[in-house]
Amino acid sequence: MIDLRGRWRPALAVLSASALLLTGCAKSEDDPAAKSTADSSAAAQATKSASAGGSTCDLTKFGGQKVDLKTATIGFSQSEKEANPFRIAETQSIKDEAAKLGIPAANLKVTNADSKFDKQITDVSTLIDQGVQLLVIAPLNSDGWDSVFQKASSKKIPIVTIDRKINAKHCTDYLTFIGSDFAEQGKRAADKMAKALNNTGTVAILLGAPGNNVTTLRTQGFKEQIAKVAPNIKIEFEQTGQFSREEGQKVSEQLLQSKPNINGIYAENDEMALGAITALKGASKKAGDVKIVTIDGTKGAVQGIVDGWISSVIESNPRFGPLAFGTATKFFSGEAIPENIIISDREYDSTNAAADLGLAY
Amino acid sequence: MTLVAEPKLEKAEAASLRTERIVELVQRQGALAVLAIVLVVGLVAYDDFRSFDNAGTILVSAAPAALIALGMTFVIITGGIDLSVGSLYVLGGVLAAWASQYGIAAAFAVPLAVCGLFGLVQGLVIAYARLAPFIVTLAGLLGARGLMLALSDEGGTTYLVDPGAFKDFGKGELLGVKYAVYLVAVLFVVGMVTLYRTRFGQSVYAIGGSEDAARLMGVRIRGTQIRVYVLSGLLAGLAGSINAARLGSGVTVLGTGMELDAIAAVVVGGTLLTGGAGTLGGTIAGVLLLQVIQNLINQDGGVSSAWQTVISGTFIALVVVAQTYLAKLRRVASG
Repeated sequence: MIDLRGRWRPALAVLSASALLLTGCAKSEDDPAAKSTADSSAAAQATKSASAGGSTCDLTKFGGQKVDLKTATIGFSQSEKEANPFRIAETQSIKDEAAKLGIPAANLKVTNADSKFDKQITDVSTLIDQGVQLLVIAPLNSDGWDSVFQKASSKKIPIVTIDRKINAKHCTDYLTFIGSDFAEQGKRAADKMAKALNNTGTVAILLGAPGNNVTTLRTQGFKEQIAKVAPNIKIEFEQTGQFSREEGQKVSEQLLQSKPNINGIYAENDEMALGAITALKGASKKAGDVKIVTIDGTKGAVQGIVDGWISSVIESNPRFGPLAFGTATKFFSGEAIPENIIISDREYDSTNAAADLGLAY
Repeated sequence: MTLVAEPKLEKAEAASLRTERIVELVQRQGALAVLAIVLVVGLVAYDDFRSFDNAGTILVSAAPAALIALGMTFVIITGGIDLSVGSLYVLGGVLAAWASQYGIAAAFAVPLAVCGLFGLVQGLVIAYARLAPFIVTLAGLLGARGLMLALSDEGGTTYLVDPGAFKDFGKGELLGVKYAVYLVAVLFVVGMVTLYRTRFGQSVYAIGGSEDAARLMGVRIRGTQIRVYVLSGLLAGLAGSINAARLGSGVTVLGTGMELDAIAAVVVGGTLLTGGAGTLGGTIAGVLLLQVIQNLINQDGGVSSAWQTVISGTFIALVVVAQTYLAKLRRVASG
């Protein structure tokens, strides 16, 4: 037995600790094949409802200064590493739109919080210190923004949050939220699942990361709609795949051992669905044996429809650039901006997957 | 020893002693030297870096990390390690936000009590069961995070800080600097006095130098070990508290990998992972260095996320390699 009580013990301890932690937190994974095509204009977001919240906000109510975006300094705070297709496309879309509007690259300050909330707060504080006149934030968490609001509102900097909401006072703390209706995505996924299974069968859910409103709403929407439109479909298995491909595969392997006759899998994002396909292949299932419905609209998943493994994909469009800058331009020109701007997401199934593969990211 | 040879020997000894001292100083203050260089580069290269606001942002952002690194310095000097601090930090924040409904005293006391208790249990197991601190505090890491998830309904519930004295503490400033920064500064002074001027502080060094020698000298090994882990737990809980006051809620997506950042800051600050040597001044420099590098990356605003970690990692590696090299020089100098 090796005696580790020597000088190497602590070093070894730290090394193994980091190894453990690294494997523990590997939530997102690279997919070099899924490069973004954010600037294809056909794929841009469309507004579905622009006044869901009812209240609106304009420049006088907010008390800010008129700003010309072309010469303004703009800060964008990204929450997670650009290591999955959604984040890659999101950041790229912001950068592309800024370039399109003729905003010099030096005037667009981009930070990335690397999934650390403390870092995102510091990032945004630094952006405010740098004198940005507009903040676009993809928040890692919906709560915990007090110190940022305190700082931003004293300088009257409008904040546009994208893809996730921040719980705060509209028009005082932030200008508007632009994003998808996650519960609606879950409902549409349920409709697709009901159709794929002819309203009867057993279904497993690969849940996203726990404690995330995206997970909560996509689960809630799916379950409610299944209960409503197809009560004969039974949800027999629910476990988190942490929004990651590896976890999705691991959980699906366990699923296929405990319930080999499952008819459908609802994955709350594409990465987990792709993991599930690997697990199905490992269990010698054939394409179409188990119906898969998923949410996101990445290239890999839409290709999965073409290949027959996935039944449908509900999109969650990450190309926030045009809408975010468009909204800010309107706001600075004096127009009233609604509290929530909900985007319409498209969907892919066997009828359009091959033709619309170019719209996926 | 002859009378003739003595002055010569003294001279050579004095010279090598002087080299040794200089090298030791640079080694101990390596982080400070690099911090100074990085600061100068930042001041010259980025206009916005020079602002008073930015200095305030750096300090207030570094405050929780500094508290955790303060406790970690004590632990590492004894030759131990505390992996539970990141989890205790997030647990402390959730507890503080929850307890804020009972007033500011509760918002500080509840996290301190719970995280201190975690530290006490870890210290007892390490001291009496003689298990490796690594494995004991790894269990603490998992346990504290689990408890946090249980309290927050798997992260589904976020407790908001009640408007009142505790929230005001998070918002409050004196001379443009947040209260939390002053609190951290005071605690570092107390920590320095404790580490350098008390019997407990000397025991911390003695255990890390050589546990057997310390035992022969009559140092209370178990008592000291228990106390450093309690201290580390208390400070992690307090860090959670001041962060919750600042954020206005008990955020649950925090603290992952924070223990490694703290260890990095302490080691960059010149504290040996093998124990027995280290300073709190070095730790402050280490914490600030990591924060300033991050700030400079943001000042640039064009570095992709993948390269940011590469840059931070490179800096840590550079400082540590330089320190190791200097330590070797010192050994050569001292013969």
